[in-house]
Amino acid sequence: MLVNSKLGTVNFMEGKDKLKQTDKLKLARIIAWGAAIFSLIVSVMLIANYLQLKMVDPLESPALKLLVEQLHENPNDDVLKENIRALDLLIRKAYFTSQWQIRTGAYLLIFGVLVFVLAVRYQKSLRSGLEELESIEKDPFLDKQLARKWLVFSSAGFFVLALLAGFSSSNILDQYEPETVEEKLADNQVEVIEVQPVATPEPVAAEPEVEESPDENLATETEEEHAEEAEPVAVKEEKAADPTSAEVQPAIPSKEEFRKNYPFFRGPDGDGISYKMNVPEKWDMASGDQVLWKVKVPKHGYNSPIVWGDQLFVSGADQEAREVYCYHATSGDLLWTAQANQIQGSPAKMPKVTEDTGLAAPTMATNGQAVFALFGTGDLLATDMNGKRVWAKNLGVPDNHYGHSSSLIIFKDKLIVQYDTNRGSKVMALSTVDGSTQWETTRKVNISWASPVLADVEGKPQLILTADPLVAGYDPETGKELWTVDCMMGEVGPSVGYTNGVVYAANEYAILAAIKIGATAEVIWEESEYLPEVASPLAVDGFLLIATSYGVVACYNATDGTKYWEQEYADGIYASPVYAEGKVYVMDMGGNLHVIRLGKEFELVAESALGEKAVCAPVFANGRMYLRGFDQLYCIGK
Amino acid sequence: MNRLSKIFFTLSAIILSIPAWAQQRFPKPEFETGYVQPATSQTSPRLLFLEYLDVFVLMAALAVATWFVVKKRSRRGVMWTSVFSLLYFGFYREGCICSIGAIQNITLAIFDPAYVLPLTALLFFLLPLVVSLFYGRTFCAGVCPLGAIQDLVAFRPIELPKWLQKVLGMIPYLYLGLAILYAATRSEFLICRYDPFVGFFRFDADFQMLLLGGLFLLVGIFVARPYCRFFCPYGVLLGWMSTFSKKHMQITPSNCIQCKLCANSCPFGAIEKPVEEEGNRRTNVQRLMTYLFFIPLWIGIGGLAGSALHVPLAKFNKTVYLAEQLVVHPEFKQDPDHLDARAFMQSGKSMDTLVEEAKAIRSQFYWGGWLLGGFMGLVVGLTLVKLASHRNRKDYEPDKTNCLSCGRCMDYCPVKN
Repeated sequence: MLVNSKLGTVNFMEGKDKLKQTDKLKLARIIAWGAAIFSLIVSVMLIANYLQLKMVDPLESPALKLLVEQLHENPNDDVLKENIRALDLLIRKAYFTSQWQIRTGAYLLIFGVLVFVLAVRYQKSLRSGLEELESIEKDPFLDKQLARKWLVFSSAGFFVLALLAGFSSSNILDQYEPETVEEKLADNQVEVIEVQPVATPEPVAAEPEVEESPDENLATETEEEHAEEAEPVAVKEEKAADPTSAEVQPAIPSKEEFRKNYPFFRGPDGDGISYKMNVPEKWDMASGDQVLWKVKVPKHGYNSPIVWGDQLFVSGADQEAREVYCYHATSGDLLWTAQANQIQGSPAKMPKVTEDTGLAAPTMATNGQAVFALFGTGDLLATDMNGKRVWAKNLGVPDNHYGHSSSLIIFKDKLIVQYDTNRGSKVMALSTVDGSTQWETTRKVNISWASPVLADVEGKPQLILTADPLVAGYDPETGKELWTVDCMMGEVGPSVGYTNGVVYAANEYAILAAIKIGATAEVIWEESEYLPEVASPLAVDGFLLIATSYGVVACYNATDGTKYWEQEYADGIYASPVYAEGKVYVMDMGGNLHVIRLGKEFELVAESALGEKAVCAPVFANGRMYLRGFDQLYCIGK
Repeated sequence: MNRLSKIFFTLSAIILSIPAWAQQRFPKPEFETGYVQPATSQTSPRLLFLEYLDVFVLMAALAVATWFVVKKRSRRGVMWTSVFSLLYFGFYREGCICSIGAIQNITLAIFDPAYVLPLTALLFFLLPLVVSLFYGRTFCAGVCPLGAIQDLVAFRPIELPKWLQKVLGMIPYLYLGLAILYAATRSEFLICRYDPFVGFFRFDADFQMLLLGGLFLLVGIFVARPYCRFFCPYGVLLGWMSTFSKKHMQITPSNCIQCKLCANSCPFGAIEKPVEEEGNRRTNVQRLMTYLFFIPLWIGIGGLAGSALHVPLAKFNKTVYLAEQLVVHPEFKQDPDHLDARAFMQSGKSMDTLVEEAKAIRSQFYWGGWLLGGFMGLVVGLTLVKLASHRNRKDYEPDKTNCLSCGRCMDYCPVKN
């Protein structure tokens, strides 16, 4: 009985253990299946989420783009602004939530797979028997024989395929044939410039082409009448050889004379500072209040106007022609048009440029005796103040993927050209009289779109240029490089600002650097919160203003970089801010001019709208303000 | 800190700061709440002592794995060591630095005098090889995170026929040759770019790479460690070392009782059966001599094929690729959206120079192709010779070249003392 009882107990215990074992196995299997299904569901959701995230780009939302376009049309619609902000926030939230979901999902998947692996492993460990492989029949001798056969066939096949692939692949590099310059010209291809000295221009071979009005003082010809002018006379590179015909005077205008006028991009020193008084602040385009005149410029161009006396100059270009226009600054009448054509070395086919740069981006320059215009083709035209060609030459087509945009500036009798291209960079001084090279300095920088600035450094003039990677100072008399600071990067568009011995250079995705120049040049402070893409920094009276392409205007203490204020506008800003009479004039891309009083606190003086897009800086002369929109030229004043 | 370390840290800092640059290009959102944009911060380079800690952990893990395999004969010990390695080298160190990728660092250091080889990369390359030379591939068994993650999912392994194993076994040699070729020509770190598991370790990768890793794991349920056996280029080197190992693990601690359990337990087909020569001895020797005779032919054919492939192979070099693109599409030079073309244009180089550079690189691929192809021919020839040769064997023995020292066979062996 006792034995039976013990045996019964043992059987019961064994049965209990077996039961427990079975339960454990069952539980492990359920967990494994559960984990597998969970992992599978998470995987599918992760893939779906990943694909969704790939498709949704917060910056490319069609709804947001639509609203932004509407805002361009109604820039003062505050409700629309709020809607855009709300939608922008919503899209960004959705984007970052998706990212969070993917990350969380990844952790869940890892957890699921881990549980699955552990459950399966546990399940296997509970099984008493050894698990053997699903084995196959093996015969070492035959297996080796078969393996040799397969190896021979597969290897031979692989090598044959490799040979076929190799012999059938096209050798593209061997098709490349270096083209000579002559071949390129013959093929109507664009000539690209190498850094080399500019050829001395040849004497005038024919009369320059000028379209003049019957009245020499005040032309009244219309645009259509100009179109009927005679065909241009072919000339080679030319300069004024006939002293009787040349109206160019050898006398060098004084600094005061330059400051009386508005001869360059960003004013008489190219630094954004105007010395004009009684400058208009606002207008009303609808009623015409303070709008003295407006005219449509025949050909498109992003260059700002320049003014000398009562003459205003702009240039324009398209695929057909490159032209200089002279307007009467008071009446807005077109006085004459000069064409930059028939210039030796000028490309037969226009170089490719982007729409937002065009072929007439560089602002012209004048010294009151001649007017100089540079185009994206490398054509440089000098005319007298009546539009008569003095000389013209091609500097070599600038290899520039957006289009050349560096503006001209004049120092004494030297026309300064910053020519930073993809094929080399240089700065050169050409004689304003005949275009001959006065000096030329090769620059160890990458392509840039910035313009030269003339600064008065400790009583001596200095030419300051910026590009990637160097901000550099040059002696404008000799072209000698005086100093460099390695602080820029990227595609440098903004020119430098300058005040009180400090150069301010900035570029988007790079840095805003204040460089103290003197015996040496050193960065005294840096800032990176707001960086301009196109508009140049404006440094004046201890203040520094930065205007960004996303619409923020920021004002800093020029001495130490402390930010005084920032103001945001709906439209981005490409036009460089300019200073006049204690105020800063900021034109945004929507064509709205914001006049801000220069100071530690933001104070809006006036705001007016052009009614069309604008990227050109305002120009001041004769108590009036001149503005250039995408299509029209405006004169504002009383 | 020595000079090498400083240069290494500088390079690391530059590489680590790339995401920060990318972040800055993202337009700043608009805030009206007075939120101040934080300054862009850059991740600090890994501290030097942590780099040395990695080497120390590698040495420790190698020692422990080897001890479990050779001395303790513990499959369980090996497995838990591999789990630790998976967590440390895989998920904590995110798959980098790794011995497999170190092949490329070594190659680049040999061919590019400007490249400074990090000491850690050198040690990660050498230490497992040295251990393999004495104790077999214990690195594969317990230290490699790629092996560990595959080993954990090998639930229902099946045995592959020998011919398939041999054919697929050629891939690691090809991968090794290509990885060296691309590193030597400064074109690409192929192994790192196509690491199928690094996406899991980092919780971040291209979708295609995650998919590839998932497929490897899925296949790995039935075909144990597919990457280790049929792709891993470092496994080739470890196999060579292991072939000469004197203290390689033994299946049985004493006398084999010919129970076959070990042969049926090995998911890698790395156990040689007892075998006696079959067929006519003279015929077998003649076959062997024939295959030996054909080795130079294989090398020649392979070299020719490799050299013929140099044009398509060189396309993966970014300079050659760009040059070919610009030759075929010169308009790309003016395309502002073509970043490579833009970078080239801004560099100030002429097209002639670019094409010359591309041709010089392609010439390297030509000679590299000869070597790669010749190497593959040699591998094929020697594998055929090995398959044609015969060695009598009385017991079940591990195939030292292909055995991953996982310890399954020891676990299954009924002879414990």
